[in-house]
Amino acid sequence: MLAEVLTQVALVIGILLPVSVLVFIGRERLVRTRAEWRDRLRTNAPVIAVLLVVLLINRVARQTAPKLSREIGIHLTATFYNVEGEFILLFKSVETPELTAYFASVYVFGYTFLLIFPVIAYFMLSDTRIFRRLLTAYALNYAIGLVLYILIIAYGPRNVMPAELTERMLYDTNPQYQYLTREVNTNTNVFPSLHTSLSATVAAFASMTRSAYPKWFPIAVVLGASVALSTMYLGIHWGIDVAAGLVLAATCVVLSDKLVDRWSLSDLFGDRLERLSDRLPWLHREE
Amino acid sequence: MNWSPSSPDDGVSRRSFLAAGAAAGAVTASGCIDSVRNVVEQAGDNQMTLSITTLPADADRQNVQIARRLEANLEAVGIDVALDMRSPSELLKTVLIDQEFDLYVGRHPADYDPDFLYDALHSTFANERGWQNPFGFANMYFDTLLEEQRRVDGEQRKQRLGSVLHGLAQEKPFEPICFPDEHRIARTDGFEGWDEGTLGSRHGYLGLEGDGQLHALATDSRMTRNLNPLSATARERETMIDLLYDSLLSERNGELVPWLAESVEWSATPSETASGDDTNGEKDDANADERGDERRTVSITLREDCRFHDGEPLTASDVAFTYRFLEDTSLGRAPESPAPRYRGQVEMVESVEIEDDRRLTITLRGETPAGQRALTVPILPKHVWQELIDQRAASGEFSAPQGRWVAVTGDHIPPVGSGPYRYESHTEDEQLVLERYDDHFTLREDVDLGEPVAAGLRFTIEPGSAAAVRRVSDGSGDLTASILDAYAIGGIPDSSDITELTATHRSFYHIGFNVRNAPLSNPHFRRAITQLIDKETIVDEVFYDYATPTATPVADDWVPSSLEWSGEDPVTPFVGSNGRLNVEAAKSAFETAGFRYDDNGRLLGGY
Amino acid sequence: MNGGSAAPNRTDPGDGGLSVSRRGALAAAAGLTVSTSGCIRQVRDILMPDNIHQLSLTITTLPTDSDRESIRLSRELADVFEAVGIDVSFDIRSPVDFRRTVLYDHEFDICIVEHPGGTDPDFLYEALHSVYTDESGWQNPFGYTNLTVDDSLETQRQLEGEKRREAVTDVLEAVAIEQPFVPICIPDQHRAVRTDRFDWDERALATPQGYLDLDPTPDVSTLRVTHTDSRPTTNLNPLAVDYRGQGPFVDLLYDSLATETADGEIEPWFARSWEWDAGTIDVRLRTDCPFHDGEPMTAEDVAFTYRFLADMHPDDAETSAPAPRYRGLVEAVDSVDVVHRDRLELRIDAGRPVGERALLVPILPAHIWRERASDANGPGGATIAQGTTEAVVTDNIEPIGSGPFQFVSRTEGDGLTLERFDGHFTLRSGVALPAPSVDELTVSIDPPGSAVQRVIDDTADVTASPLETNVVGSVDQSGSTRVLESPSWSFYCLGFNARDAPFSNPRFRRVIAQLIDKEWLVDEVFRGYARPIATPVTEEWVPESLEWNGTDPETPFLGTDGEVDEDAVEAAFESAGFRYDEQGRLRVRQ
Repeated sequence: MLAEVLTQVALVIGILLPVSVLVFIGRERLVRTRAEWRDRLRTNAPVIAVLLVVLLINRVARQTAPKLSREIGIHLTATFYNVEGEFILLFKSVETPELTAYFASVYVFGYTFLLIFPVIAYFMLSDTRIFRRLLTAYALNYAIGLVLYILIIAYGPRNVMPAELTERMLYDTNPQYQYLTREVNTNTNVFPSLHTSLSATVAAFASMTRSAYPKWFPIAVVLGASVALSTMYLGIHWGIDVAAGLVLAATCVVLSDKLVDRWSLSDLFGDRLERLSDRLPWLHREE
Repeated sequence: MNWSPSSPDDGVSRRSFLAAGAAAGAVTASGCIDSVRNVVEQAGDNQMTLSITTLPADADRQNVQIARRLEANLEAVGIDVALDMRSPSELLKTVLIDQEFDLYVGRHPADYDPDFLYDALHSTFANERGWQNPFGFANMYFDTLLEEQRRVDGEQRKQRLGSVLHGLAQEKPFEPICFPDEHRIARTDGFEGWDEGTLGSRHGYLGLEGDGQLHALATDSRMTRNLNPLSATARERETMIDLLYDSLLSERNGELVPWLAESVEWSATPSETASGDDTNGEKDDANADERGDERRTVSITLREDCRFHDGEPLTASDVAFTYRFLEDTSLGRAPESPAPRYRGQVEMVESVEIEDDRRLTITLRGETPAGQRALTVPILPKHVWQELIDQRAASGEFSAPQGRWVAVTGDHIPPVGSGPYRYESHTEDEQLVLERYDDHFTLREDVDLGEPVAAGLRFTIEPGSAAAVRRVSDGSGDLTASILDAYAIGGIPDSSDITELTATHRSFYHIGFNVRNAPLSNPHFRRAITQLIDKETIVDEVFYDYATPTATPVADDWVPSSLEWSGEDPVTPFVGSNGRLNVEAAKSAFETAGFRYDDNGRLLGGY
Repeated sequence: MNGGSAAPNRTDPGDGGLSVSRRGALAAAAGLTVSTSGCIRQVRDILMPDNIHQLSLTITTLPTDSDRESIRLSRELADVFEAVGIDVSFDIRSPVDFRRTVLYDHEFDICIVEHPGGTDPDFLYEALHSVYTDESGWQNPFGYTNLTVDDSLETQRQLEGEKRREAVTDVLEAVAIEQPFVPICIPDQHRAVRTDRFDWDERALATPQGYLDLDPTPDVSTLRVTHTDSRPTTNLNPLAVDYRGQGPFVDLLYDSLATETADGEIEPWFARSWEWDAGTIDVRLRTDCPFHDGEPMTAEDVAFTYRFLADMHPDDAETSAPAPRYRGLVEAVDSVDVVHRDRLELRIDAGRPVGERALLVPILPAHIWRERASDANGPGGATIAQGTTEAVVTDNIEPIGSGPFQFVSRTEGDGLTLERFDGHFTLRSGVALPAPSVDELTVSIDPPGSAVQRVIDDTADVTASPLETNVVGSVDQSGSTRVLESPSWSFYCLGFNARDAPFSNPRFRRVIAQLIDKEWLVDEVFRGYARPIATPVTEEWVPESLEWNGTDPETPFLGTDGEVDEDAVEAAFESAGFRYDEQGRLRVRQ
């Protein structure tokens, strides 16, 4: 069933991406990027590497982190439940099958799209700094998130209030999605909400790049907000997780500004990098 | 628990995990964590630790010796022991009020009737503070027996009590060790008429013939600091309260004599229902049937014209107040807060009806023996105690945590009672002077209960038993009021001026367990511990044979033949001989009880 | 003790103070204050003289993903507890963690759990005998100690027939009075199966034998099992208490001398036959049976198994280290004598009904398990007696048993593949026992919500985990999917940690028991797919006095239809010796 779900996601994203590239980015930038992609790739290579490493660690940690977490983690389910109680049941009053379907698809497809599109969009910008900042922010989100996941053991509301949430629990209405989420997460990883933090990060960047992509900004904000709401609506996260997600997003956006361009790789490894690029002829093919 | 107290080595290993855990790169190291955790994280991988609460030798020389012997034997079987030394009132506060103890060594006041076991063991008292059930023992089977023995008399009662004692010997919420002999010395030149059996009660100080003030030496200074009849911590025995207060009946050498009550008439009335009985816990059908058949009522007439020491008349309403007040010292203003003493006695009383100033009818929840005991509580002046509560209530917020609020913890000096002696003066830690209460009914012509000493009593504190003996033989004292420590008994000089007063008393040394929490909540564990106590040797070496070892908390006729002392404890004999513990056998007793040892011979199971 | 929950606190004076300081030191040394609430509470207890607080208890339970009914029961009960002035918090733990917390560490106040129960009431011996209070495993996790109950439990083991029934009744009645745990209900076991590929035996599915003798249609060679519990993919150790739930897989990998049917009958399995003679079982084994690795399985292996389970530390004469599972069964075996290769004698200290149950333990290959007797982290490390051996902590992958199926592969968290073991004796001609009828058995781990869908979609043949009650009624049975109901004996219960106050007080436990409206919970939480019980045994053992009669005969609910009568509860607590404060909070020393 995982394959099925993955196909679905790939299909939806496969349709959404080209369309939005055309709508939001425009032909002109595409053409320019075509000319400059190697240069940009070279400048961006370190940060791409960092992100890949973080994602790889995340991947490995999926197997081992739960065990480590069991050793040193703090159980906080009860605390969250005591603090906010049945707050997320507020959504019960607006619950409809249509809304459930909307939030479910936003949670799975909207979120994936929201993460992937900016990567492409900002790569298209001739100013590579924003691209590097975005990737740094992503990497920070994942890294900090992972540490928090290890330190804090908490189950989401759906695991505490099954009866009240049945009608709109993602995995009750669409059990197949659980195959997808269990690939990337375990059910004790709810604090903070990475869905929220990454969406908010994207929305923050969208606001910074309003001038470049004016049409993308409102879409990103609406979609980002929907993702954050969906995590609560679907009973996956506590309000506290979402709040923490927002804080995490803000932290990562600020940090990305401080960190990017702080060290230049060429300063550090200037010579070696030169030699490296010499050995990689495809980088110079057109020169 | 991730952070249980643990042995150093696993603490190190986990700490290193922590250090590693901070870095995401260390995640790969966590593969082995799972199996390691299994090993080091199990409950009970620490050595068992117990504390023994005991008295310093100054206060009671025997007590600490028993504790130290037990400590040595517990250490020998691999249990880590901490001795917790407390002054007498501190010990009682720790055990009775705070209930923060594992084991304690103490002297139980017991009572003339085995009904005191009801107070000591009934499970509805397990959550209360005071002399009632300090062990936290809760066993429904015992409850039933204890309730039943109150409702029957004669052979039937003896049989129920026999079952209680048998059960007690198996379950061991506490372990009685011995009944110490009561030794006192008195001078015969000043006073005559010493009665060795009653010097623990008011009767010992009545009917003495002699001139001048009776000068008694006491080892326990608590009497100079607190004379509150409700205090659980100020005393084990009631002597002083007996002198200052009257009760309806008074016990003299095991017999009850009418005291404040001039006449007591017992009658049985069939009761309509068993309802209204809401303090007694379970009410299953069988119980209700048995209980519902008959009620004892007592018609009491008080002696004429009795007054409290402040001149106020003592009437039936004071009696009624006393029972109500002891049942709830907040008198309904706060959550119920029963007094930390007399709990079982008061619970025996179902209702008190005042007929007129002198006559009242008390309805009891059972038969005569336990009912009579209920009539031995001190009668308190309503006007004094009511005012105390009203004052507290007037100051706004009123709370009365059981055993912890001023009515119960106050020193209550000077006391207002109605007893044969009246408080005159005191110097803290030095002396307490009582004068004769001239209006007391014992001084009346037609009353033959022994008159108080005309010139009054002076209690001087002399902490050392040997010193007290010396002072009495020197003539600077008439009596050692407290029981002499065993070591001093051999030093009593042979003199014609001195008489040695010896009695066997019902109060007993015991080891109490806090059975609320593991591992002492496990009767197997308690039994294994009691097998480490060599009562015979303790009696021999600590008490110099001035005590009687026992397997039961009651003596004489009440002891079933199977529980009689036969040179060793009939249920949990000492493992070892001549005071030497057979460590292997003792350890295997713990193992049979389900406990385990580590390679270093330490008993595991610390949480 | 976990952060954020009010786990049981000890308040002994020297002891408490000591552990605080030690714990504090440790936490400080580590630079992290984990487990904060526990520490802080204890410190406060010492500083503040008046340490009588509102009763605050923690319900330890499982998350929805693992057990929907447990968490729902917990929350319903929490509402009731709050209503009567008890402060409640939750401690929600994964199945593995839950078992470690409750069964190993005994760090809980009360837990809501599905107890495995048993067809024979002798499981209560293991569950309640006081010698087991300090052990790890399903043996007396409640820390319940009552010498009278011990006596009755021992007596019933020695008896047969009507006399045993009487002794069992004694046990059950005493347990009902004291309530060391409150049995709530026995849930129905429903499984979805595909009928177009296999023939199913509804009753047998309650036992591992339900997966044998399935009569597949000719072209079918794989039995596709879907399971919701991923633990079998990480650990297949028959001795690991924390990983063993109700799945049949380990039992399919290992043989035992006898098997138990869903009706509680003990029938020959690896033992060809046996004779019971006054406390001795003379067992004749089947000949020439190999383990999955080809080594022969002989009487020596059987004898080794019994000795090993009784003491995993055979070299260490001083301490015995019994295995944490099968404790009660092995306890009945006094000694094992190998007569020859295929015959052995078990000397049994129990009557026949209980004694023969000793034949149900899995037979471990001596050549593999002997080496696992060592301490798990080697000599010199931190050791404790029970549960430290390699035998307990190993994940036992790949498992070498002798059962009808053998291990092929697994993917952690995703699935498990077993194949038919061709050397198994059930496949021989002349052996009329259920035999593995498929070449391959695949187990895929699926979320509870989609297990049924997989059967409907024809990507699975059977849901090995019983269906959650919220889906039972809505399964589409139009195609070849059917829902089968098997007999069940595991029961949901509220377990007390009776080691510590106030749970050590039976009067307190009884009042708590009276706060549980079992009838209503069965309707509300289990949608009627369960039956409320007053005593935790199968129907044939229930004494008349404890039959369910619309309400609990011993501890009836104080209220109606799930609505608790607060005044009645207050009165009940007060008559049990507990007090309320002015704000209606139950006050207690903890």
